[in-house]
Amino acid sequence: MSTKVIDISINEVTKEFATGIFKKKLAVDKLTLDIPRGQIVGLLGANGSGKSTTIKMILGFLKPTHGQIFVCDQPAGTRQSRSLIGYLPENPRFQKFLRGEYILNYYGRLYGLGGKQLTQQTDHMLELVGLKHARAERVGGYIKGMTQRLAIAQALMNKPKLLIFDEPMSGLDPLGRMEIRDLIRAIHDGMPDTTIFFSTHILSDVEALCSSVALLKKGVLKTACEINQLMVQDGQFYSIVVTDLNQTLETKYRAEHGATTTSLGLSFNVESVDILTARLTEISRTGGTIVSVNTQRRGLEEILFSDRKYENFQFPRQAAGGA
Amino acid sequence: MTNSLRIAWVAIQELLHEKVSYLLIGFALFSLGMSLVFGQMTYGEQAKLTLDFMLGATQISMLLFAIFMGISLFQKELSMGSISMILSKPISRASFLLGKYLGQVCMQFLITWMMGLMTCLFCLRFGTGSFSAAAVFQTVTLIAWEAAIITAVTYAFAVNSGAVVTSLGAASIFFIGHGRDTVSSNLRETSDLILWNSAKTVLPDLEIFNMKALASYSQSIEWNEFFLASCYGTVCVAFYLALAVLFFSRRDIAT
Ligand SMILES: Nc1ncnc2c1ncn2[C@@H]1O[C@H](COP(=O)(O)OP(=O)(O)O)[C@@H](O)[C@H]1O
Ligand SMILES: [Mg+2]
Repeated sequence: MSTKVIDISINEVTKEFATGIFKKKLAVDKLTLDIPRGQIVGLLGANGSGKSTTIKMILGFLKPTHGQIFVCDQPAGTRQSRSLIGYLPENPRFQKFLRGEYILNYYGRLYGLGGKQLTQQTDHMLELVGLKHARAERVGGYIKGMTQRLAIAQALMNKPKLLIFDEPMSGLDPLGRMEIRDLIRAIHDGMPDTTIFFSTHILSDVEALCSSVALLKKGVLKTACEINQLMVQDGQFYSIVVTDLNQTLETKYRAEHGATTTSLGLSFNVESVDILTARLTEISRTGGTIVSVNTQRRGLEEILFSDRKYENFQFPRQAAGGA
Repeated sequence: MTNSLRIAWVAIQELLHEKVSYLLIGFALFSLGMSLVFGQMTYGEQAKLTLDFMLGATQISMLLFAIFMGISLFQKELSMGSISMILSKPISRASFLLGKYLGQVCMQFLITWMMGLMTCLFCLRFGTGSFSAAAVFQTVTLIAWEAAIITAVTYAFAVNSGAVVTSLGAASIFFIGHGRDTVSSNLRETSDLILWNSAKTVLPDLEIFNMKALASYSQSIEWNEFFLASCYGTVCVAFYLALAVLFFSRRDIAT
């Protein structure tokens, strides 16, 4: 009963790009990953970490240099396997002169839909992504968020078993991001058996949506786990700021947690939820005021962005006042 | 096949929206106008010159249309990423390519026939002497066949290389296709001849489609000859399209 059905199975996959006659670029290195059915899974990594390359191999646009990929037990790239997938590429664009409704019809037909089913599905999708009002407009006039939602709608036309989105939130303003997040949640609620696999370089997207996550760095899989495990691995900690603390507690926190005085109050970090709860009870019982409690993480950001180039960069000081 | 037709229909709409295609059509219309003026001014073989000029202009515009629209249809879709949405659907790369090709070639036949019709109308209105509509029809149809071959050649290049290589490659095949006799008569070395003769088997002989000279003397060709030329066109198209499909199915689509 509890055996998970695996929708995408990636086995020891390596992809090298030829970038010159003798030069090669390793984009994905011996990646092994299983995506279970019915979950929202995030593929997290910085730009250039191999997310798009992985996704394109799942669709068969790129052929792996080594290794195999199976989609619902079909080899990746076959028509059979593609008929199960709905795909949203990175930065989708459409021919400007086509109208929203026409595009959905067109892509629906390529999935083999027709007749009443097609009309119904088109209506339904326009409704779902909130583009009913713009159905007869040319997509050249759509703003980025609308194009993105239309592109999601076209991926959903055949009610696919598997949705693969490449950076669905990238390039959108905060409102647009929220809309896409809500849309992905709505899709998951409406089609709970559909697996959603999406890539992003933003941690909070993954936290807001996913049940598990795979973390890529420079083509290498760093972690693949459920989202709550990520928090543990992540080295999550909590930072607390309090005021009006009595002297005993203050001395204790300074000694135990290295608490320091900041402009907001006394600030210190604790490592686990248990200690957090204990401290918060203590503080409120002794009449202290809790200014803020924040969840912090160090590990993940470090994994993601540890070789920041400009971290220690300083602008050269100009001599003030001239010569 | 139905998928190819759907893709073809979108390609036709796209061509209709392409500014470059207006430019080429405009160019054709302009030359038709010019040839009219030209025909008016010359005495003697007035009708012949008009026809010469018009048919030449039709051929050149179709050559340009074939190459530039082929590149544009392809590269635009590649750079836009809409190709990946299409190819993520359960359709083969071959039907995608075939669809684009069909759309473009249908447009080309339509445009050439329109130009042919205009040529006929001009000749009827201003031309003197004998004039054969059948000859004009045959000539422009063969021009459209030639353009269809060049389009297939363009696709074979475009699936693997950029705009510059593609246009140079397709243009070279056009010029070699018309200059086979010149090349043959200029080669002396045996090794060159062997090379050239093997190259000739895969390079199309475009002079087969050239009856402009006949038409300008208002002479048509036998219909079975016309039919045979069309058959030859089909074979060439099939060969180059097959090459294009082969290259395209093997390549990585990185966008
Ligand atoms: N077509 C290509 N040719 C050469 N290198 C490529 C190509 N596509 C991607 N790469 C390289 O592979 C690495 C991974 O790219 P990509 O998968 O697009 O990253 P991501 O989607 O995570 O930002 C990058 O370093 C990129 O430069
Ligand atoms: Mg990417």
